[in-house]
Amino acid sequence: MTTDSDLVASGRVRLARLAGQAIAGTDGVTPTTGPAGRWLTVGGQQRIAGVLAVEDVHGRVDLELHLVVRWPPQMPLEQLGELVRGRLRDAAGAAGMAARLGAVAVAFDDVLTEIERA
Amino acid sequence: MSDADKTTRAAPKAVNRPGAAQPPDDDAAPPGELGRTTIGEGVVTKVAGLAAREVQGVHDLGTGTARAVGSVTQKVGLGDAFNQGVSVESGVKEAAVDLTLVIDYGESIPRVATAVRNQVIKRVEFITGLTVIEVNITVNDLYFPGDDEADEAGGADEAARVA
Repeated sequence: MTTDSDLVASGRVRLARLAGQAIAGTDGVTPTTGPAGRWLTVGGQQRIAGVLAVEDVHGRVDLELHLVVRWPPQMPLEQLGELVRGRLRDAAGAAGMAARLGAVAVAFDDVLTEIERA
Repeated sequence: MSDADKTTRAAPKAVNRPGAAQPPDDDAAPPGELGRTTIGEGVVTKVAGLAAREVQGVHDLGTGTARAVGSVTQKVGLGDAFNQGVSVESGVKEAAVDLTLVIDYGESIPRVATAVRNQVIKRVEFITGLTVIEVNITVNDLYFPGDDEADEAGGADEAARVA
C-alpha cells in the first residue's frame, strides 16, 4: 500500500487516480487489491484499488497496476496491458503530467469467470 | 525479434514481458522503461483449465479425491475449482500443461483428448503469448448420468448406518 498524508493531492496520487481511471475505462479488466489487500494507493479520503505508486527523488512516479481479467479475454493479455498503459499515458499527457510518469508495470493476477463474478 | 519483443524472466511464478515497441526517435527510452506486463502462473493454469472445460465431453477435471476435497474447500471459500486437475510448468516463452480429465461416458476418449489439447493450446497461446510445447492428458474417470445422485444416496445411507 502507498499512502500520502498531504492535504492537496500530490503528483503521485494524481497519477494513481489517472491510472485507476484508465483501468476503469478499459473493458474486460478490473483492479484487484490482492489477497492481503495491499495493492492500493491512499490519497486523502480516496483509495485507488489495484494501483501502487512510487515516486523517486527526481519526482518521477513509477506505477504498478494489478488487474484481474474477465473470461474470456477478447485480446492477448500483453495487448490488454498495452491498452491500459496507453490510456494512462494519454491521460497523463492531457493532465500535463507526462514528464512525471515513469514506468508502468501491469500485472494480471487472476481470471474471473461469470460464475465467480456473480 | 526486437529487444522490445523479448521476454524476460523475473519472479519464478510469473512471466514478464517488456512493454511495447520502442519509440521511433533517437532519444527513445531503453527497452523496459515503458513498463513490464506480468502474467501470473496461476493465470496460465486457470486459462488451461477453463479451456479444457469448454470442450464437449469433458465432465470435470481432477482425480476423485481432489474433486471431493475441492468440493469442501470451495464451499468454505478456499481453493479454486478451475485450477483443479491442471498443472502448468511455464517459463519465459513456453509452457507445458498436464490435465486430468473426467469424460462423459459414451464420448470418444481420443476425440475428446485431441479436442482438449487443441483448445488448450489455442487459448493459452492466444491469451498469454506462451508457446505450448506439450499438453499431457490423463483420463482418470468416466462420468455416468446419475453418478452424482448415487454418490449422495450412498452418503445418506452411510450417515444412517453411523447414526
